[in-house]
Amino acid sequence: MRIRVISIPVQDQEKALKFYTEKLRFVKKLDTPLDGGNRWLTLVAEDEQDGPEILLEPAPNHFKPAKVYQKALFEAGIPYTQFNVESVQNEYERLTKLGVEFSMKPTIMGTTKLAVFNDTCGNNIQLVEEL
Amino acid sequence: MTFYEKELNRISRIIYSNQGQIETVIGIRNYIDNNYDTDLNLDLLSHIRFVSKYHLLRLFKKYYGLTPKQYLIDKRIEKSKELLKNGMTVTETCFAVGFKSLGSFSTLFKSKTGKPPVQFQKEQLSRSKE
Repeated sequence: MRIRVISIPVQDQEKALKFYTEKLRFVKKLDTPLDGGNRWLTLVAEDEQDGPEILLEPAPNHFKPAKVYQKALFEAGIPYTQFNVESVQNEYERLTKLGVEFSMKPTIMGTTKLAVFNDTCGNNIQLVEEL
Repeated sequence: MTFYEKELNRISRIIYSNQGQIETVIGIRNYIDNNYDTDLNLDLLSHIRFVSKYHLLRLFKKYYGLTPKQYLIDKRIEKSKELLKNGMTVTETCFAVGFKSLGSFSTLFKSKTGKPPVQFQKEQLSRSKE
């Protein structure tokens, strides 16, 4: 068994694609049309293109419990997904300049530094740096 | 402040209350990051931070979830992938990241990445030519 794809539920796949590629600098890997305008849309990290893929899936639009769950997590400030970075502070500054909103500024927690931002598609995303 | 941030602060006060221990393990981790290519061992690491080696082992595992040795191996494998991608030979890579024996390097590399270093490099180089 291998870990190949992990899902991120998004409210708008096209908008998510733009945000995740233009601001977060992920690279599009697969983009296959599905029924009803939905897509099988996956991204990879720029310098790890054979690594795990994230699937931007439109679940909140088609399955009510997914929408409810996503909303509850968002309102509580809870990130369900996290990405590792070399420097949380640098990414915080870079993304803030691009207009990305942070609900939690860079914060040291024990042996890690964390920050949380809004991906504009319904999710809080956490950045993690190991100290 | 969000519910999440409040919870983080609460948990942080419980599990990260000992700042001295945190500084010790972060110092050790940074030392490994900067010296992974040298002959590192627990005795050396414990001397750097003036703690007993068994205490250090326990602390490191407690905060990072793995032992210093496991962390060092992961670091070396990660670095060796970079070097192999850049075209360095397997033998050169093995010694450049601090391993002493080609056999143990190949075995560890395969167990961590699923393929031996030679095969990994072939795939990477053929991919970059595409």
